[in-house]
Amino acid sequence: MKKNLQSVKDKNGYQFFFLKLGLFILICFMMDITVGAILRNLYLKQNTGWEYRTKYAVEATNADMLLFGSSRAQQQYNPTFFEDRLNLSCYNVGRDGESILYQYTIFSSVINRYKPKIILLECENGMFRKTADAYDKLSCFLPFYKTHPEIRSMIELRGPNEKLKLMSKIYPYNSLILKMISGVYNKNKDEDIKGYLPLYGNMNEPMRSVNYTKTYILDSNKIKFYNSFIDICKRNKIELVLVCSPYFSKGTGNDISLTMAKDIALKNDVKFIDLSKGHPLLNQSTLYDDTAHVNLMGAKILSNIVIDSMKVNKYIESNKYMLTKTN
Amino acid sequence: MLFNSFHFVYFFVVVTTLYFILPFKQRWLLLLLSSCYFYMAFVPIYILILGFTILVDYFAGRIIEKSEGKKRRFYLICSLIANIGVLCIFKYYNFISENLSFLLQGFITNYQLPYLSILLPIGLSFHTFQAMSYTIEVYKGNQKAERHFGIYSLYVMFYPQLVAGPIERPQNLLHQFRENHKFESDRVVSGLKLMLWGFFKKLVIADRLALYVNTVYNNSSHHNGVTLAVATLFFAFQIYCDFSAYSDIAIGSARVMGFNLMTNFDRPYFSKSIAEFWKRWHISLSTWFKDYLYISLGGNKVSIPRWYFNLFIVFLISGLWHGANWTYIVWGGINGFYLVFAIVTKTYREKLSALIKLDKIPLLNNIIQIIITFGLTCFAWIFFRAKNITEAFSIVKKIIYFDGPFFNPNKSIFLFSIIGIIFLMLVELKREYFNNLFSFSLNEYWLVRNFYYSFLIIVIILIGVFDGGEFIYFQF
Repeated sequence: MKKNLQSVKDKNGYQFFFLKLGLFILICFMMDITVGAILRNLYLKQNTGWEYRTKYAVEATNADMLLFGSSRAQQQYNPTFFEDRLNLSCYNVGRDGESILYQYTIFSSVINRYKPKIILLECENGMFRKTADAYDKLSCFLPFYKTHPEIRSMIELRGPNEKLKLMSKIYPYNSLILKMISGVYNKNKDEDIKGYLPLYGNMNEPMRSVNYTKTYILDSNKIKFYNSFIDICKRNKIELVLVCSPYFSKGTGNDISLTMAKDIALKNDVKFIDLSKGHPLLNQSTLYDDTAHVNLMGAKILSNIVIDSMKVNKYIESNKYMLTKTN
Repeated sequence: MLFNSFHFVYFFVVVTTLYFILPFKQRWLLLLLSSCYFYMAFVPIYILILGFTILVDYFAGRIIEKSEGKKRRFYLICSLIANIGVLCIFKYYNFISENLSFLLQGFITNYQLPYLSILLPIGLSFHTFQAMSYTIEVYKGNQKAERHFGIYSLYVMFYPQLVAGPIERPQNLLHQFRENHKFESDRVVSGLKLMLWGFFKKLVIADRLALYVNTVYNNSSHHNGVTLAVATLFFAFQIYCDFSAYSDIAIGSARVMGFNLMTNFDRPYFSKSIAEFWKRWHISLSTWFKDYLYISLGGNKVSIPRWYFNLFIVFLISGLWHGANWTYIVWGGINGFYLVFAIVTKTYREKLSALIKLDKIPLLNNIIQIIITFGLTCFAWIFFRAKNITEAFSIVKKIIYFDGPFFNPNKSIFLFSIIGIIFLMLVELKREYFNNLFSFSLNEYWLVRNFYYSFLIIVIILIGVFDGGEFIYFQF
């Protein structure tokens, strides 16, 4: 060993190397802190865009009613209808492309601050399907890792090295810089109606047949957090309404995730409004932007159907558009 | 084990530290064990295939060295058959079986060979070719057969270049395992810098481009010509950054421990002809084919038609080396055709250049040549990236029509991709043409150099793709 390291005292030796390495790490460390601080400032300054809405959902929502889900919540439920008809404040915390992992994380941060009165959670076909990107997308919570201990365990689901990566002050803003700049300086703000982003498209296509009976790998985490979502609502006496909004298709068979979600709801005596196979008032293509999303007009009808169903303390069985008792 | 994983970072730090701490005589064992661990991190059982190749070639080398005449040749052929046999079984069996079934269906009804449901051992073509180069060199008398089984195993298994090259030659690598590499700060720093540049190319450029390329190419039927043309252009840079990044990390990590591996890429997109491109792209494979196949076939010291045939066949086999799919064979064929076409038309092109006085403006002439070469390379990449030949032709057709709106689902991905490509090209442009000008990476001031490298690290953390996955060439 001594022989190997005999050149340590010269400029090509290991002592000199570690000295240079130490200084280099120090430069990196200082640059990380400086750039990280600038990015954090930029992040907090946002007043529009996706990251802003997530930040608002995590840190600032205080509405009586919250609407959770993916794009099928964000782009289909207009909070103003809920506010007018239910006489309470409402905010849509849905986010396009997100899964129950995202929704549960938002819910964890919300419940840590206050108890909403009503929560609507949009369920959908394939909601328990195992996908890698559901975990990747939890990256939108990285800026909250240090300040929100209640969501740390969710962020750590991204991978075993997440804690290590988060030692960097820049990493929480990885790949976000352009979105943040847009969130701060973009003068054309999103048309954001309390979190709701309306769609204006018009499908103008005939209804197609789709068989929903498909097999795929289920994600036990997604099922676990769906159960936990229900459980926390029950424990905190928050009224939970589970909804599956319509698809513009002649659906046959049943999606395993949706069937499972309904079974869990039934077991927990939670309202589940299943419109997945359509609704008589929403069977025109002109009310849809695409097969899975209603447009602005459709959103008005859908929101009212859901409010009507909520007002009747009943369970809507799939396919029949009939009200039947849960128990 | 992926180079772009924390697992590798821990592994590299531990192995390198132990390497310098351990006495010289025990280092080969450390490297061999760590290489086994590195390989077994993928699919452990496949180390047996590697073990088989090592055993065969170790003994083949010893026997070939002792033999003479026809016997010597016979043992070499046996060793080559064993190596190619392994490749045929694990890489080409299903491909051969499918094509044989297709060919024979008119003659034999219900002819069907059983389908072999196995995962392709990672980096099989790389280490098999490296092992083959050993027996060929022993046969040629350029290399003495290695007596030490551990050292020979290490030659095949040396972890930095085990799964994706550079494909080394015994004359360059074997003797280095017998050298006592002392800790040299300058060399270690140089190796680490090369690794950092590799990580930058992989995480910031290649994996970012992959997000767009995969979205488009995985649903090519739904995309128009404009989008497919952009995706093809992006793929050209993705595959370059991905593969050259692997080579940089491999060469860098070996350099830290005192090993010199051969250069594998030399700014290929600045080539002025396809022939030059192949002197700059995947150099270790190109020279392998040149030394062991092209020259064995007679090279250019044969009749002109035979020369063309030699060139073409070498590129067809080179295509097949990449994968058991017709797309790779056609890709190789296209490159072979380019070379033959370039030779055939050389005089006419020179005359045309003189006629329009392009040869009087060397800068413009060079730029045109670089653009044409890059365009031809991109065209060939379509076949490399497409799932099958039908899809490749459909993509080509769409690109020719070049219409429709540009698909850009995520502006960030597109912008980061463009920024990455521009940064890469600026760095390479500077290294290619203005190497003596001001340099950040080689600046005389320590602080400037270190700010540059810390800038690279900051950019990796800021816009790098951390969940990008494996390197493209792992599948070969």
